[in-house]
Amino acid sequence: MEKQRTPKNIFVSGAIAPEKIAQSIANHASKTDIGGHSIFLGQVRADVKEEGTVQAINYTAYEEMALQQAFEIREAIFAKYPLTCMHIYHSLGEVKVGEICLFVFTSSKHRKAAMGACEELVERIKKELPIWGKEIIDNENSAWKINT
Amino acid sequence: MKILAFGKIAEIIGQEELQVDNFPNTEILKGYLYQQFPDLQKMKFSIAIDKKLTSGDVSIPMDVEIALLPPFSGG
Repeated sequence: MEKQRTPKNIFVSGAIAPEKIAQSIANHASKTDIGGHSIFLGQVRADVKEEGTVQAINYTAYEEMALQQAFEIREAIFAKYPLTCMHIYHSLGEVKVGEICLFVFTSSKHRKAAMGACEELVERIKKELPIWGKEIIDNENSAWKINT
Repeated sequence: MKILAFGKIAEIIGQEELQVDNFPNTEILKGYLYQQFPDLQKMKFSIAIDKKLTSGDVSIPMDVEIALLPPFSGG
């Protein structure tokens, strides 16, 4: 029987710990029909602005809408690619430079589906989810992040 | 009706939630917002009705949740 999927929480408070990523990889060891994983990790960059260097990004979201949108994107990607698994995690709150703020993980029998799905997911997450990043420069200065 | 504001819009408005009278459509709502918060005229934003993005001028049903969304910048 086809598995019934429901909206999942994608949000993590603060940075995504490398240990969580390692654990997530380990959790797939029992799924022996998987032949390839693709992982994207977004990391907060220390951009240099007129007012100074970015120290962190503070993320906020319209959470209910973002989860609904993420669910629709998941369904569309599952319909398009023969995937075994898909996981999406996005930070909320403050993430310091050098820390991970986005973790997208796709798995499939053969590599191409996992790689294609991962890339498309990242693009759609950045473009379609109501999430905002505010770049913190110092106590006085900040700037709303602009996605390119 | 309830209007939720996010990101830079919440900063311009000075709060994350507004209670206002009902507006028949999004154009009239925008006119009201521009008048109350002139800085909004300088920025791009979308309007969601009950968590669905709208485009162009659409009518606003009763008892819905309106959200003002600046350009997304997740990831």
